[in-house]
Amino acid sequence: MESSSRLPLRRPDRGRVLGGVAAGVALHLDVPVRLVRVLFVLLAPFGGVGLLLYVFWWVTVPVGDPLAAAEAGRPASLSRLARPQESATVLRLRRLPWTEIAVGVALLAGAAALLLTRAGTEVVGSWVVPVLLLVAGAALAWSQLDAVQRERRAGTRGPVSVLRLVGGLVIAGVGVLLLVGQEATPGTLVQSTVAAVAVLGGVALVLAPWWLRLVRELGDERAARARESERADIAAHLHDSVLQTLALIRARADDPTEVARMARAQERELRAWLYDDRPEPGTSVAAALAGIVAEIEDTRTGPEGEAVTVETVVVGDAEPDASTDALLQATREALLNAVRHGRPPVSLYLEAGPDAIEVFVRDRGDGFDPEAVPADRFGVRESILGRVRRRGGRASVVCKDGGGTEVRLRMPLLRAAGAPDAAADHDERTMQG
Amino acid sequence: MNEAPVDVVLVDDHLMFRAGVRASLDGRVRVVGEAATVDEAVQVVRATRPPVVLLDVHLPGGDGGGGAEVIRACTDLLGGTRFLALSVSDAAEDVVAVIRAGARGYVTKAISGPDLCDAVLRVAGDDAVFSPRLAGFVLDAFGTAAGDVATGDDELDRLSAREREVMRLIARGYSYREVAGELFISIKTVETHVSAVLRKLQLSSRHELTRWAAARRLL
Repeated sequence: MESSSRLPLRRPDRGRVLGGVAAGVALHLDVPVRLVRVLFVLLAPFGGVGLLLYVFWWVTVPVGDPLAAAEAGRPASLSRLARPQESATVLRLRRLPWTEIAVGVALLAGAAALLLTRAGTEVVGSWVVPVLLLVAGAALAWSQLDAVQRERRAGTRGPVSVLRLVGGLVIAGVGVLLLVGQEATPGTLVQSTVAAVAVLGGVALVLAPWWLRLVRELGDERAARARESERADIAAHLHDSVLQTLALIRARADDPTEVARMARAQERELRAWLYDDRPEPGTSVAAALAGIVAEIEDTRTGPEGEAVTVETVVVGDAEPDASTDALLQATREALLNAVRHGRPPVSLYLEAGPDAIEVFVRDRGDGFDPEAVPADRFGVRESILGRVRRRGGRASVVCKDGGGTEVRLRMPLLRAAGAPDAAADHDERTMQG
Repeated sequence: MNEAPVDVVLVDDHLMFRAGVRASLDGRVRVVGEAATVDEAVQVVRATRPPVVLLDVHLPGGDGGGGAEVIRACTDLLGGTRFLALSVSDAAEDVVAVIRAGARGYVTKAISGPDLCDAVLRVAGDDAVFSPRLAGFVLDAFGTAAGDVATGDDELDRLSAREREVMRLIARGYSYREVAGELFISIKTVETHVSAVLRKLQLSSRHELTRWAAARRLL
């Protein structure tokens, strides 16, 4: 493997035995993980080099999937949307129950010490308790490193992990004090504690600017990466839809209806992509209406075979239910009528109020006489007016002189109005003007 | 109509769109100047002082404020020069920003040539131009619940029942004349109502308006 395509150094979440250091190093160097582990163990007796190295990397190497990190390092525009297969090395490794093993070993050591004390051997020196405290504190604090990182990635930071971190620090500090100041009087102990805290504070003050800058740079880098991925998202979308439509339009340049329709469909899609909240399917009447409009604009033509557009204005939104479905079906029929028989522009207005949804469909055609439509024709009477009235709504068709036709529908919302609108609404005048 | 044509300045950063608008305008409107950036627009408007400026919402240059920035830079001219916003964007915050800066109307770029000329003449006559979509914005922003009706004329945060009726008819695709016929009032009265709504949109401190504009994106 070339050095340029080497995986970055990360401690993988999966396949780790202790801190994932060996697995991470193995992936980074592309050598068998067993070899790395053996090396760590072999190096341990030599002044604890292996142990120190392990702890050093545990603390400094960030957690993460090396493969994902390699992906993120590349320009986002080059990355693929599908996740690559997981590396076999990572999958093969299994995690051992290290916590339980450590607890068992500690208990066994404690039992042995007690037994030896019973037998009269002086094992438990004055240094044992402080060292135990120190180790326990460090373990508590370090155990939170990964947790804090994971929480930050998830966008939350629990107070529990911070508390544990602080508690671990305090315990370790007390351990250090007890260890160092065994022969000191309480007075000197307090004095030296204050001095130590003061020195720590001074050093922190000096280092703070560097630390702040580091944090800021990290944040900037993260923001830049987010921007780039957004840009890649947009580029992919433009490529998939807009460029293709443009190519199609160029190919069909001699067919104005088809060109207008494709341009309109693309415009609608792009607008939805740019401006819409993209609600979950089945949760929004407005989205369902947009779908109906899209279907009509895509598949229907006007009386002279021209492409049609529906000027849609939506105010408010509501949860769909059986009666809004009926309302939308009726709206669809009304739109089809307007597109087929009326003249453009066709206007559609939906207003979802607190207790009813109202829909108005208007065209600028010559109008027609609903009374003159034969009773056996299902068109207007059944599919538009009947549909809405059967569900307790109001419906009427209004023709004006030279002003086209308007279908007015009003459907009470189930949860708002316990009882549907009074039956008297049914004989609302269907003809005016 | 044989009155003198209305002079307009055309502000848009796309040369192709300016050419298209120029070609679609009829004899009632004459283009006396064009500009492509915020700074150019302010300069041209100040030099020519046209009765109407056709203004794109998104413009390069200046402090990045787009069309709203041009209007703010020309606030002292608002008595004689009126701005008609023209945009391809449906984003509510764009609409609200440019209207609140002082534009007298808002139309989308899909508008036909004759309709655009009508809109220019209307703005030149100091009337507000409300497209169905803008009326929908207004209804959405001010709320359509029964409790949201203004009782006094000086109330800026709510529409009166009549104003809401006018807005609803405009959103349904009615022209001012048709609105007047439907409500049995004169066109002049309709224009008064529309201007009142525009004033409320500009001056209202209704906090939902800004929040709504930021949060809501319409079809």
